[in-house]
Amino acid sequence: MSNIDATAAAAQAGGVAPAVARFRGEPGAFWRLVARGAALLMFTLGIYRFWLTTDIRRFLWSNTELAGESFEYTGTARELLLGFLIAIAILVPLYAAFFLLTLAGGPTGELISAIAFLLLTLLGQYAVYRARRYRLTRTIYRGVRFHQTGSAWRYATCALFWWALILLTLGLAFPFAQSRLERFKMGHTFFGNLPGRFEGSGLRLLLRGLLLWFLAVVPFAGGLVATLAAVDWKTLAAAADGGDDASSWLDSSGLGGAVVYAVLTGVWLMLSFAILYPIFQAMLLRWWGSGLRFGEMTVTSHLRTGQVFGVYARFLWYAFLFTLVVGTIVGAGVLVLPRLIDGLDAMSKEIATTVAGIAAYVAAALGYSTIYQATVKLGLWRCMVETLDVSNPSALDKVTAAGEAASPVGEGLADALSIGGI
Amino acid sequence: MSTPDKQPPRAQSAAPVSGHGVFFDGATTARQNVTVELAPDAVVVRAADGTVRAEWRYDELETMSGPADVLRLGRAGDSGLARLEIQDPQLAAAIDDRSLPVDRSGRSERRMRAKVIFWSLAATASLLLVAIVGVPHIASQLTPLIPYSVERRLGAAINAQARASLDTGHAGAAFECGDAPKEQSGRAAFDKLMGELITAAALPIPLVVVVVRKPDSNAITLPGGHIYVFQGLIDAAQTPDELAGVIAHELGHVAHRDGTRTVLQGAGLSLMFGMLLGDFFGGGAVVFAAKTILQTSYSRDVEASADGYGVALMGKLGGDQRALGTILSRIAGSTHPGPRILLDHPETAERVAAIEAMARSAPAPAPARTLLTRSEWAALKTICSGT
Repeated sequence: MSNIDATAAAAQAGGVAPAVARFRGEPGAFWRLVARGAALLMFTLGIYRFWLTTDIRRFLWSNTELAGESFEYTGTARELLLGFLIAIAILVPLYAAFFLLTLAGGPTGELISAIAFLLLTLLGQYAVYRARRYRLTRTIYRGVRFHQTGSAWRYATCALFWWALILLTLGLAFPFAQSRLERFKMGHTFFGNLPGRFEGSGLRLLLRGLLLWFLAVVPFAGGLVATLAAVDWKTLAAAADGGDDASSWLDSSGLGGAVVYAVLTGVWLMLSFAILYPIFQAMLLRWWGSGLRFGEMTVTSHLRTGQVFGVYARFLWYAFLFTLVVGTIVGAGVLVLPRLIDGLDAMSKEIATTVAGIAAYVAAALGYSTIYQATVKLGLWRCMVETLDVSNPSALDKVTAAGEAASPVGEGLADALSIGGI
Repeated sequence: MSTPDKQPPRAQSAAPVSGHGVFFDGATTARQNVTVELAPDAVVVRAADGTVRAEWRYDELETMSGPADVLRLGRAGDSGLARLEIQDPQLAAAIDDRSLPVDRSGRSERRMRAKVIFWSLAATASLLLVAIVGVPHIASQLTPLIPYSVERRLGAAINAQARASLDTGHAGAAFECGDAPKEQSGRAAFDKLMGELITAAALPIPLVVVVVRKPDSNAITLPGGHIYVFQGLIDAAQTPDELAGVIAHELGHVAHRDGTRTVLQGAGLSLMFGMLLGDFFGGGAVVFAAKTILQTSYSRDVEASADGYGVALMGKLGGDQRALGTILSRIAGSTHPGPRILLDHPETAERVAAIEAMARSAPAPAPARTLLTRSEWAALKTICSGT
């Protein structure tokens, strides 16, 4: 706080507008936007999602203010629809080819499945990079657009390599992967002619997160080992083969102890996820925000872990209330539906029940998704923006326009491959 | 700021014809505080020194997305990104009045949305129609065109997966019945029965029929002539004709290539729904549920025609054509999640009645005879007796 005040005072003394990042969006307006969007998604089988995504981005962009000027999102739903159609044109023959090739069966089929998985993962990362390019070139600030250069295939290859390394090192490579990939992205990002870069250090993130890693991964690995070690595999196999009565081999094989270890590990995982994940997310966002640079302009994030916990607490509270409502409605439906369809034949009854079930499921899923958007997505965006400390914003004053609007094909691929994003 | 506002020529107008704005020329990020003049046919943007920075005709103006309290204007068809921002609500309203494309109330945007929503609903309706009527029809038309060699490959791939999911827990014994020494006589009797059925059916595709250790009273047919007869079915059958009736029904599925058609339908439906529903929370589960329900409704006619084939085949053999109905009504109610090939349909009573009617109307062409002797049948019942 004092930091921001000082900056504002200094700026006023210099006669310049205070370089504070602000978010001015009304939560109520956002709630209305996503709730109406969810209803339309349901009735249009998801076709409305291109319009909803565009609305959400327009809201977030135009309510985010830096040095007194707000951002502008110029993308349109029609472009997203086009990107989606292009993605279908690319993916449908690909899926069909993989399907036909896997029919070969046997080891060849498995090899082809593995190759297909790798290729689709690569394509997913390619899509992530291309989608970022689309979003940047649709982001306008003071009449000048952002843009991104660099080869999306190179990015995808690097990302695939780093994700493999993350898996192999049980997550220890994650900070370095983040740092490298973010450097790649920001190093190819420009605001007009002003080049961006990323200065977050992977080692620093690792040192900050090492304790979290121990708390999360070590008990998990330990629990897994204890579970496996508690089982006397030979006895278990013998007992299973012999078909002895269950209680005796449960004792002799040590399966009882293993179940206890497994349950303990599971409980610990749930608890640590609930507690550690917000801490981890706050740390990552703070590290990421503090590494962003555009020319002389530097950014520091003062995001507090408590804020992230607050965001998730709000989500849980609304989700709890929504669950109560859904539970009541489903309960009433279970009582009423059988009477409504009493006169129908068995087949129609089954269809009616299933349709009602699907509708209830979709409505509930969309409800939770809406709550998530309005609490977590908006909440994190707001906290992130409002805790940014910007120095040398004057670097933004004399930027010359550069770059062209890019195609939305990456967005379409990301959508068709179900890879999330803003 | 220093230039005095021009007074409107019309006396009644309280709306301002000039005011302040912020202009970005689209070439640099320099923020220019400008005077905005509402000329008769254009917005004129003047810098503090009086030079004209931009002159945009009212019909070229475009509202760009911005914060709620700012009217952000651009020039339509302009490849540049020049922006004029107006905070003064009265000046913004005056521009809105003069320019047709400027749409602060969002009315034309809403009209556009309504169109999108209407046509999305129409697209949804026709998609559902195609899914319910079109996909099964297309699959039926395509199925005969698929060569048997392709069907056998498809069958092999599906068989590997189906087998893995069926093969769960049978206490040490082999999954397939009939290989252990004690099961040999049962195997011989089963092979004799199958031999008669296969000869009578004369199918264009070699069959792989196995009895497996599963307690359900069921039998499953996969594409490519793979038939699984569950131990539970053999236990439930009281006569050779009942077992033969069920297997004849399964041969009907092979003859009609129902498995291949189901695969084609499934592929068509997943493409249609999977791609379109896209990336909202839980979309995959909805696709799965929708596919299940649609395929359940397709399978009704499929079962009826397989029943017809079974009854006719039993007639050809000289077996009891009603036996299929008898065993169906006995084991009705035993349900089994998964491929709904045989038993767990709600309308068992309807099926049994239809089988009775077919048996009556088409009398057996071959003279009635026993398919297996009493001792052969007793042996067959022990096909899964274990080691």
